[in-house]
Amino acid sequence: MSYLTHASRAEAFTLDHERTSWHDETLWFVRQKRDKAVYAVPEFQELRNLASAIKDHTLSRLDEYLAQFEAAAQANGVRVHWAANAAEHNAIVLDIIRARGATRVVKSKSMLTEECHLNPYLIKEGIEVIDTDLGERIIQMRDEPPSHIVLPAIHLKKEDVGATFFKHLGTAEGLTDPQQLTEAARQHLRAKFLAGEVALTGVNFAIAETGSVVVCTNEGNADLGASLAPVHVASMGIEKLVPRLSDLGVFTRLLARSATGQPVTTYTSHYTKPVEGREMHIIIVDNGRTQQLGRPDFRASLKCIRCGACMNTCPVYRRSGGHSYDFTVPGPIGSILSPNIDLKKHSTLPFASTLCGSCTDVCPVKIDIHVQLYKWRQIVSEANHLPTAKKLGLKFMGRLLASPTAFKVSGMLGRKGLRLLPYGLTHNKTVNAWAIARELPEPPKQSFREWYAQQAQPAT
Amino acid sequence: MSTARDRILAAARANKPAETPLPTVPDFWGDNSLERFSTVLASIGGEVAQLASLSDLETTVHKLWPEAKLIASSLFTPTLRIDQHTPTDVLADVDLAVLPVELGVAENGAVWLPEANMLHRALPTVTQHLALVLDERCLVATMHQAYARLPDGPGGYGMFVAGPSKTADIEQSLVIGAHGARSLVVLVY
Amino acid sequence: MKVALFVPCYVDQFYPQVGIATYQLLGKLGLQAAFPAAQTCCGQPLANSGCEREALPIYRHFVDTFHTYDYTVVPSGSCVYHVQKHFDKLEQTPAVQHVRATTIDLIDFITNILEIKELPGTYPHKVGLHLSCHGQRGLHQANESEMTPVRDGQLRRLLAGLDGIELTELDRNDECCGFGGTFCVSEAAISGRMGHDRVQDHLRNGTQVLTGGDMSCLMHLQGIVRRQKLPMRVLHAAEILNGLTP
Repeated sequence: MSYLTHASRAEAFTLDHERTSWHDETLWFVRQKRDKAVYAVPEFQELRNLASAIKDHTLSRLDEYLAQFEAAAQANGVRVHWAANAAEHNAIVLDIIRARGATRVVKSKSMLTEECHLNPYLIKEGIEVIDTDLGERIIQMRDEPPSHIVLPAIHLKKEDVGATFFKHLGTAEGLTDPQQLTEAARQHLRAKFLAGEVALTGVNFAIAETGSVVVCTNEGNADLGASLAPVHVASMGIEKLVPRLSDLGVFTRLLARSATGQPVTTYTSHYTKPVEGREMHIIIVDNGRTQQLGRPDFRASLKCIRCGACMNTCPVYRRSGGHSYDFTVPGPIGSILSPNIDLKKHSTLPFASTLCGSCTDVCPVKIDIHVQLYKWRQIVSEANHLPTAKKLGLKFMGRLLASPTAFKVSGMLGRKGLRLLPYGLTHNKTVNAWAIARELPEPPKQSFREWYAQQAQPAT
Repeated sequence: MSTARDRILAAARANKPAETPLPTVPDFWGDNSLERFSTVLASIGGEVAQLASLSDLETTVHKLWPEAKLIASSLFTPTLRIDQHTPTDVLADVDLAVLPVELGVAENGAVWLPEANMLHRALPTVTQHLALVLDERCLVATMHQAYARLPDGPGGYGMFVAGPSKTADIEQSLVIGAHGARSLVVLVY
Repeated sequence: MKVALFVPCYVDQFYPQVGIATYQLLGKLGLQAAFPAAQTCCGQPLANSGCEREALPIYRHFVDTFHTYDYTVVPSGSCVYHVQKHFDKLEQTPAVQHVRATTIDLIDFITNILEIKELPGTYPHKVGLHLSCHGQRGLHQANESEMTPVRDGQLRRLLAGLDGIELTELDRNDECCGFGGTFCVSEAAISGRMGHDRVQDHLRNGTQVLTGGDMSCLMHLQGIVRRQKLPMRVLHAAEILNGLTP
């Protein structure tokens, strides 16, 4: 089976020059807000070190913290479930819904449930699932996946949203004012919140010592859902744990500043015990995470707190759009998470980067993202997922560059070739990808080594 | 047959790296002034209003929210009684909730609202407008100090609230009043 | 001090004037650099494409060629970063360790080893500085906007010290140009777009001469400048610094 490459999807995105500019500038604006917030905290780099160390430590005792968390949560009256993969997770959610005889589910943002493809599963089983985060609701109406983990509808313009709401919510045709569009969504979703029977949320942090889960939102949708519905189900990956309540001091200072440049999210909600007579469930999900934990070069990717800063800063993401990655988590972090899930399918993602390193430098938990991209490239190549022509060419290059004589001759041939070959051939865009946007260098008459040989030989 | 739980824990045990130390988080101190708190809260769409004393609360509330008809509060005789058994359709009509908070955080304009102060868990988000009452002496500089001082740990449920509900999901345009409270005023005494 | 010059393959073939400027500049600073004729490449193009294993013989050849010198000076931060960072795949013999520790970018060498903080000269042009990511984020030759709003760096300081020069203040000081080695052909559309945006930032803010410490980024940007027929010269920093009239 062959898959579309990131490059081909990215190229399609860039064909609309103006829209690419708009997408790039919109996300750069978020990056600038992040910078402003970060510069204002003198200890920000120290906080990154602390967050990284806390996450490293947690991973190094993950089994113990998971057990501690489970015991504390159970003591709080929470029902804890474990799911080895997406299918188990989805089945558990359905069981909980069915046990209540419920059909109306309100859901706040959770990349994990996105990863598990929970919505289509529940809908097929006859359950109404309403995404309540505004961005998620917009793309749910459009039947699109999110293009960003924090800003799921960032690929859409207000005209697109206006057209979607005209179709699905009956707003006035041509309405594009964000304030009015948001108000329409508020009215529409209030009714859904009030009628919700089961509330699903994700988890930003889980505290081992107290058994609490923490959910961060700006809209308040997680709280409205979970506080009104009789049943709250929180789905979390095993990597969401932190040992102590006090660790949240570090992470809540980093998360929103890195994500959107806010000093903190509007709501940082701590769910520890259900209200009497109501239910709270926590589903702890593996789905490939313990496998990633076993890869020394890549386990640091499990430290991710899903702030999205690496997307906002990535010059490739900003110009190719989230959908070009064709994975739940796009951008640099997605490009190091996805090969763990399906190496062949996502084999071009580690190459969707110039290795500029900006992702690593904005990461609030100091994941060495660009280093891992480089390492995944080696694994893709070893697993023979490089395009054949590329691989053969590179092997030839390897032999050539290890041999000074062959190297000299080939360089001369290349340089002379550029001068002798007709312009039409060297600038043919189907033959030479370089020439699509750029001129080739003008070949000089003499190489450096030829010039050097003519100089008075220095004593060495 | 082993359960998913056992398999996950066994895999985590087998695949985890050598133990690394858990760092001690220092107290970074910082500015815990009301001025800082007010500036930050204003920058995120909230507002601070001074209260001469707690006994002025009710008159101040009526002065600041003359339009509010259904007001829920634990601090004075409310126009609408709310408790944890209040049905959803009644909650949906609340215009204004006036609730006490335990501490305020100057670096980000957040205040700690524990379940015990909420009347109903949904009240702080379902109400159209929210007024939170803070003792100025309970201001701290950073989230580190805030977590260190939570009176009852995280409690059964509790939230840091920083400003009104908001979204920027449509073209990054900031809109105040997404799903939760449309406005937030912290009344400081 | 025994100094060797490593001239990256594409500089040797396409930009000999950059190698010459580097050689002559070192000469003016009192150093007669050697150019070991057996040199080929640092292996980065292969390794970044996922063929690190195939690059190992190239790494060994690089070490064999340069391990007898006190410093190996390179007019390209990207190659230096590769040698320092990725030659960890070789057995760490004393020769390998020495080469990793002493392979150094030209500007780094001038400011940190020769400890020259200012070069006398006049350059009455508006100059736009392109920071290569490997030099800046990899070798820490310049401040990063991810960490601090202060725009500072060793090449920026050297250039700022010239009489008559004006440095361009860019909208985005350290955005990647999109070259990225084989990325420039495997992701040609994005690479071209990134380069276009980088060049436009310079154009918008008045750059007359576009310069930097890494010829690979500049080769890509120059290709775009020439395709779009923009009024901008592209020069390696060594060419500017070597051409100065004190």
